[in-house]
Amino acid sequence: MNRTPAIPKRSKGPEGSEGFEDRATVRWGGPGAVAVGRPGFLWAAPAALFFGLFAIVPLIMVAVLSFASWDGLSDPEFAGLANWKKLLDDPVMIKSLWLSVLLTVLGVAVQTPLSILLGVWAAGHQRNRAVLSAIYFVPMLLSIAAVSVLWRALLDPNLGVPAQATWLFGDGNLFGMQASAIGVLVFVSTWQFTPLHTLIYQGAARAVPPVLYQAAQIDGAGKVRQFFHITLPQLRNAIITSMILMVVGGLTTFDTVLILTQGGPGSDTTISAFYMYQKAFKSFDYGSASAIALLLVLVSTLISLIVVRLSGYDKMRSTMEGL
Amino acid sequence: MKQRARFSRTVVVGGAALALVLSLSGCGGGSDAADGDTIHVLVYGDAANKVEKELVATFNKTSEVKAVLDTIPGADYQAKLQTIINSKQAPDVFFNWGGGSIKPFVDAGLLLPLDPFIAEDPGLKEKFLPSVFNSAVVDGTSYGIPMRGTQPVLLFNNGKVLEKAGVEPPQTWDDLLAAVEALKADGVTPIALGGGDRWPTLMWFEYLYDRIAGPELFQKALDGDKDAWASPDSRKALGKIRELVDAGAFGTNYDSVKFTDQGSPTLLATGRAGFELMGSWAYSTQQDAHPEFARSDLGYSAFPSVEGGKGDRANLVGNTNNFYSVLKKTKHPQAVAEFLKLMYSDQFVKAQLSIGNLPTTTNTEGLLDTAASPEFAKFQYDMVKEAPAFQLSWDQAYPRSAATAMYQSLQQFFNGSMDEDAFIQAMQALPTS
Repeated sequence: MNRTPAIPKRSKGPEGSEGFEDRATVRWGGPGAVAVGRPGFLWAAPAALFFGLFAIVPLIMVAVLSFASWDGLSDPEFAGLANWKKLLDDPVMIKSLWLSVLLTVLGVAVQTPLSILLGVWAAGHQRNRAVLSAIYFVPMLLSIAAVSVLWRALLDPNLGVPAQATWLFGDGNLFGMQASAIGVLVFVSTWQFTPLHTLIYQGAARAVPPVLYQAAQIDGAGKVRQFFHITLPQLRNAIITSMILMVVGGLTTFDTVLILTQGGPGSDTTISAFYMYQKAFKSFDYGSASAIALLLVLVSTLISLIVVRLSGYDKMRSTMEGL
Repeated sequence: MKQRARFSRTVVVGGAALALVLSLSGCGGGSDAADGDTIHVLVYGDAANKVEKELVATFNKTSEVKAVLDTIPGADYQAKLQTIINSKQAPDVFFNWGGGSIKPFVDAGLLLPLDPFIAEDPGLKEKFLPSVFNSAVVDGTSYGIPMRGTQPVLLFNNGKVLEKAGVEPPQTWDDLLAAVEALKADGVTPIALGGGDRWPTLMWFEYLYDRIAGPELFQKALDGDKDAWASPDSRKALGKIRELVDAGAFGTNYDSVKFTDQGSPTLLATGRAGFELMGSWAYSTQQDAHPEFARSDLGYSAFPSVEGGKGDRANLVGNTNNFYSVLKKTKHPQAVAEFLKLMYSDQFVKAQLSIGNLPTTTNTEGLLDTAASPEFAKFQYDMVKEAPAFQLSWDQAYPRSAATAMYQSLQQFFNGSMDEDAFIQAMQALPTS
């Protein structure tokens, strides 16, 4: 409603503002760059329609379904809070939420340092760097399903790697114990996704102005000191971006669990997304599955809000400040 | 203000879209534009489709109403079927496992009772072995005609490994325990088990419950008598399972082994294990992956008896058969009835035998010589014919909603992370209808 005055006011900007000819202002997209006016809501209508149709509507339907009991055959029946009560009393559900969070945290803890180091290294000018990083990025090109099948076969206790390295793997019962099954899941997703995050850090590390390092060198700072006092702070926004990707990816992990462990042993790696799938497409209990889905949406939203707030990402502070 | 304006517009757009979706789904399942004179036959997509294609072609040669074969890849079959069966895309005839796998559809009033077809052509019932035919009878009404073949579970062995350890295929439980000791002493895993898939583990429960308590206990439990799981016989069966696992019969890493990725079959074929309890399809699996082994050293026997047990040694467990069921809303019931008659034709039996399946029609016996392995086919056929009881796999007999919890408790009891009482409780908590 008050957008109508907002647009002309903005578009008046260039004439009114002094020193508009300043090159820097134009380059950084200051008020002068938007003389044509800001896009109205209509511009976004096609995208909004699709978003509404494929994100909002299903979400509403899932919310409605979570208060119904439905097996996919007969008509859904209103069940009140029954699904929710059942979920809160369900030890597997509580465990699955905890497992989802655990897998996410482990993923972030393992992948972040690894991809920062690799990314910063890959941003340099060493010999053979290009070749090595090209090889290193290969896992990113493979589908998660293919990668999971591959590792499942490689980790077969009698026919795979564990049989050749019994000093490390013992009897090779990796998928039969909770700790090792989780270990395998973390390892496989690290193997697959570290290249993506490395790429993000490589880009960010290359954007760090070289003058900072030149100045540091003149002041006598060594490589380690430069890394901790220049590179790392400059990567701040990249770290947040990559961590949010990891958190979202971690909470919605599904394929690796489906193929590698099937939630086993018992329910020891049954994370929420997989439990939802089991409820919906194995047990045909769409009501409970919808409740899990909604719970997952709430938990993910909460976690990403916390990440955004704690990191100060919402303030969109630039690392270019003070330059 | 700005926020609210955006939100209200989103709601308007979203609401319009919602109304659109609802109105679309409202007319689903209703009137269907006439799509010619065809019947759709939906089957589990795998190598056996070769035979189904042949049959459909045969049927189409003489029939006015043409049959169309639709396939869904195996792993997705159950989920996809449940999704489409009450929609416009529903087939006329579909593949299933009888028993619990079709009960929800019967309860939802979607299936056509086949008794009128049978009254018109008694062959639809009489030409099949009764123990098999009966597993698609729900509440006294027939809902399925057998198709493909029967899949009893057998104790397979590696003859060379047994010979080296001086072991014979076991006749009794004590024989089995002795064999386990002998094989262990010989340095091989006594029994290969694909515990990672979970359903191979289930087979041990099925047979031990059958041998110790007879087939009645499971039937009682399935009919809703939860006390059956807490009965002394049930505890005795669990005790035997514990005994076997603790004796090291399966080694220690069975939960990381799978049948589906060739893990356990390879153990047996390469002589690293002595036995494997598996459905009859293990034969064709080995024939495919280890033809040399299947020809010379692959042995098989019935599951051993247990002293003092109530179950007959000839009882079988497994998938009794696959079935064709018919949707009530089919527009061509007469054509469907004609199509089903092909399921006991000589052409069907021969074609199935040639790909290693064992149909359970009364004319199968005379055609066994045409099988991929006549000796194995004959062994199986006699077993199925003489079995006093043929227990459908628990995961197929129970409603689908029970499967996840059932698999979890089976695995946990088997590997020792759940005790007897907890297992009994978990089984009692399974939904039975």
